[in-house]
Amino acid sequence: MKILPLALGVAVIGALLPAQPVVAADANAIDAERAARWKTVAEYIFGDRKIEPTETLIKLDAPERAPDAALMPVTLTMPEKHAIRSVYLVIDDNPSPFAAHVTFGPAADPGALQLRVRVDSYTNVHAVAETKDGRLFGTVAFVKASGGCSAPVEASDEEAMKGMGEMRMKFTGGAAPGKPVEATLMIRHPNFNGMQMNQLTRNYTPARYIDKLSVSHGDSKIFDLEADISLSTNPVITFSFVPDGNGPVKVVATDTKNGRWEQSFDTPLTTN
Amino acid sequence: MRALIELAAKAAVIVGTALFPVLASAGSPSDVPEPQGLWIGAMHGPTPKTLAGAAVVDLAAIEVLLAEQPLLLDVGPAVRKPADFPDDRPWLPTHRSIPSAIWMPGAGAAPLEAGREELFYRRVGELTLGDKTKPIVVFCRPECWGGWNAGKRLVTKGYTSVHWFPAGIEGWQDTHATTEVKPDRDWSAEPTR
Repeated sequence: MKILPLALGVAVIGALLPAQPVVAADANAIDAERAARWKTVAEYIFGDRKIEPTETLIKLDAPERAPDAALMPVTLTMPEKHAIRSVYLVIDDNPSPFAAHVTFGPAADPGALQLRVRVDSYTNVHAVAETKDGRLFGTVAFVKASGGCSAPVEASDEEAMKGMGEMRMKFTGGAAPGKPVEATLMIRHPNFNGMQMNQLTRNYTPARYIDKLSVSHGDSKIFDLEADISLSTNPVITFSFVPDGNGPVKVVATDTKNGRWEQSFDTPLTTN
Repeated sequence: MRALIELAAKAAVIVGTALFPVLASAGSPSDVPEPQGLWIGAMHGPTPKTLAGAAVVDLAAIEVLLAEQPLLLDVGPAVRKPADFPDDRPWLPTHRSIPSAIWMPGAGAAPLEAGREELFYRRVGELTLGDKTKPIVVFCRPECWGGWNAGKRLVTKGYTSVHWFPAGIEGWQDTHATTEVKPDRDWSAEPTR
């Protein structure tokens, strides 16, 4: 019974305080606004192709709240992997919403893919899967992260460009022929997006970012990646492929200032 | 009754203010002094905890202040299109802010180009209907000197109810919806940079 007066007091204050600020926007209006934004963005990227909603063909996992908006991990999962030709990642409210398009080749295991992206403000993120019969299926997640696009890269541009194009690859998982192996590719590259100001000179660092990545195993393609300014500094991509024992994994990366880097990595199978 | 409301509102402000330094201290120097006049260094960086002549407010204080329908002045910068951005990719910058905010991109820059400071004062004068006691909230993003400078300009000009909201849009959108806003038409009729 002692609690009652206190509880009552809190309830009274709660009732007297405005529950919502005066300018609280109508939730439906906000949803409509975000839907309109997606429609505009989708038209630019996909033209008049229809995007059907799906809960099974592609799943999107992103932290609801990203501690570092310049390095937000996004995982795409494609459970019906044999039906998938390519996947798109779109960050609706980024100034350049197109983030990445990954087209899988015969050596891929297109069941999952992870990348790290920059997010400029709280936004919807869309993942769209293109099936082998040319249809598009999409899913969406709302992420709370902001400021990632203009976050300064490093102390100086020169520092950030050191070792540009160096790559590493890490393999996890079994090494039996026909069994998928997960690989994580790390590329050293500032991925300047043209929106970052050099804090010393107060000039904008010119855009220079990786726009294409081609990864193959022997003569067989794993995937091609088309990217834009939303990929994080020092891109990291986790993918899976099915090793057949023939040759290393070869990566060719290009950037928007005609940089080109090529490197081969022995797979767990080829080293055995 | 009214006393109770005011008490509750004050309590909310006090609680909010007490919490804020803990959040603000994460990774930023805590003792940035106020510059003599406007800050003319890099716009992005740690800002002072104070702004002489203005109230420094947190989200809880903003929520209370909204009942007075202040002028919400967003001076966050507009994003800049990279010079050689490919033509075949969509470039669709959008700016989300506190609903009903007036957005004057870059209005906190210092120095402003010739005529821009006068235009800023003229627009604020129009938006406040010449009432220098009207509550004004200036904001940008965290660690943005633009919001501080804009507040400084208003204090210097004799506005008596200037509120600087350093947490800015980030502090707002965490618990409240944002809406897309276009730059103030009169402000952007003339080029910003």
